[in-house]
Amino acid sequence: MSSFATEEKRSVPGDLTPSDTRTEDARIEDGGRRLGFLLTLPAQLLVLFIAVFPLLMQLYISLTDWSPLDGTGWWQAYEVWNGFANYTDLAIDSRFWDALGRTALVMLICVPVEFLLGLGLAILFMDNFAGKRVFYSFMLIPMMVVPAVAGYMFFMLFQSGGPVNDIISTLIGRPFVLAWLSSPGTALAAVMIADIWQWTPLMFLILLAGLVGVPEDQMRAATLLGASWWQRFYTIALPKMKTIMIIALSIRIIENFKIFDTLFIMTGGGPGVATETISVYIYKVTQQDLIWGYVAAIALVILVVLSIVVSLAISRMNAVKEA
Amino acid sequence: MKRSLPFEVFRYAAILLALAVTLVPTLWMASMAFKPIAEWSATGADLTWWPKAPTLDNFRFILGTSTSDLIVALESTAGKPILASLLSAVFGTLIAMTAGTAGAYGLSRFGSGQNLPLALIQLRLFPPMAVMIPVMIMWAFFGLVDTWWGLALIYGIVTLPFAFWLMKTFFDDMPREIEDAALVEGCSRMRVFIKITLPMMRPALASSALFVFILNWSDYLIALLLTTREWVTIPVYMASLSSSMTGQLYGAKAALGLIAAVPPVIMGIAIQKHLVRGLTFGALKQ
Repeated sequence: MSSFATEEKRSVPGDLTPSDTRTEDARIEDGGRRLGFLLTLPAQLLVLFIAVFPLLMQLYISLTDWSPLDGTGWWQAYEVWNGFANYTDLAIDSRFWDALGRTALVMLICVPVEFLLGLGLAILFMDNFAGKRVFYSFMLIPMMVVPAVAGYMFFMLFQSGGPVNDIISTLIGRPFVLAWLSSPGTALAAVMIADIWQWTPLMFLILLAGLVGVPEDQMRAATLLGASWWQRFYTIALPKMKTIMIIALSIRIIENFKIFDTLFIMTGGGPGVATETISVYIYKVTQQDLIWGYVAAIALVILVVLSIVVSLAISRMNAVKEA
Repeated sequence: MKRSLPFEVFRYAAILLALAVTLVPTLWMASMAFKPIAEWSATGADLTWWPKAPTLDNFRFILGTSTSDLIVALESTAGKPILASLLSAVFGTLIAMTAGTAGAYGLSRFGSGQNLPLALIQLRLFPPMAVMIPVMIMWAFFGLVDTWWGLALIYGIVTLPFAFWLMKTFFDDMPREIEDAALVEGCSRMRVFIKITLPMMRPALASSALFVFILNWSDYLIALLLTTREWVTIPVYMASLSSSMTGQLYGAKAALGLIAAVPPVIMGIAIQKHLVRGLTFGALKQ
């Protein structure tokens, strides 16, 4: 078993009971408490500064028509109070719903593909073979490339006279010219290919850590009992990896929902609105239309929906863990 | 486990294919960075995977020492954006690591700030785009827009969850006997933390800091919204590197992209042992 990838299950993000602090209350005298408070203070202040106050500000602005071009401070936004009009506008804003649908589509394609490719690669890396360490390091490169730079890489690759078309031409034996980024269907495909390129390594990394953590003696015992490779994988390794798979999928779902950098550099959301995801849409309304009251409403709706989804996911994760 | 020969053949074939797909985009950009302008947009039969006449002109061009064959002169060179990226990422990392390490120790040892883990995870869950309106207003109010310190502050907050969770798992793992011994010797708790715990945690601090630095260095969206001219970072500057006269400055952009891509890749490989721990908020260790 390789030494660089043994893992052990630790606390899951959702599991937030401080198991080892309560029993030690007796050992922590008053001085410790005061120090603990002081030490956590900076983090608390930063959270307060970035979470509580901005959220209230966002809520306030979302009920107005305020724009930074108005020439009035944000606190005077009540002068352009419009109640819930932003929210009712949002309900019938087809560009918003299209962007949301497109974001979901990208997620529904990218995340499973990344998961399956990552799992396949992880299985290939499960036991030792010559060159494993070198291959492993190279495999991780995409996820460490700055996303904006990755976006530029794929922008070059997908030019109509670029290397992707060159490779396809060589493979099919005749000139192949396709302006990937300027036709709606292929632009979205190109953006998804870039995402899969960049984030499959993350799935691979996490799932490999999970696979290597499956107790070896159980696998060996099963081999002795005559279990096939597939039986061993399906009945021993897979159930043990349930939590890890959920973690890997959750991380990618959350991050994929935010998709912006790579995509924006590649297509800027275009052609037209063909690759406009939710983050790109909000960006455009913020920077071009400058109706910040409306943006605040969109942002709040997304935050509320995400919070609900996430708390459901966390409670589900704890349930799985306890089962 | 011994595997059959066909499996080994399949394994190497699959891995080599995956490796090719993994490396080609990066190598294409690296090759482009050394191509002279004539080869930038060569297509069809003229398309080359390797520069025919390798040159350092692209690097010289963006750094402003020579404009050689290129028709246009840059309005501003890449020097300042590189400085902006460095300053904001380094100081952002300092903020996140200071608040994160102190907070993690407070929680891990004294049980203070029990709301922090969940609050910080939630902070990470939201798309930055959905919280940027108040941030842009606040940053404008405090005069932080288009400054590297304004960027460093928001970077410090955005990556605080990672610094906190990483350091928390490291502190949780650390044996307490040494600290207890020092306490018995009569050291104050604060002294134990600074004189004993922190020096012991040096490797953990280093890998967490590198991890956080990579995240800060990688940002594009926040810098795009909070900087305009003076302190744009590398990715923002890079996106603006095209002119109506020459169109896309492929080689120049590739050279800059290479400069931006190399540090995090090297750092990432250096801390690969801790990557899983960092990326899963300490839920998994490797």
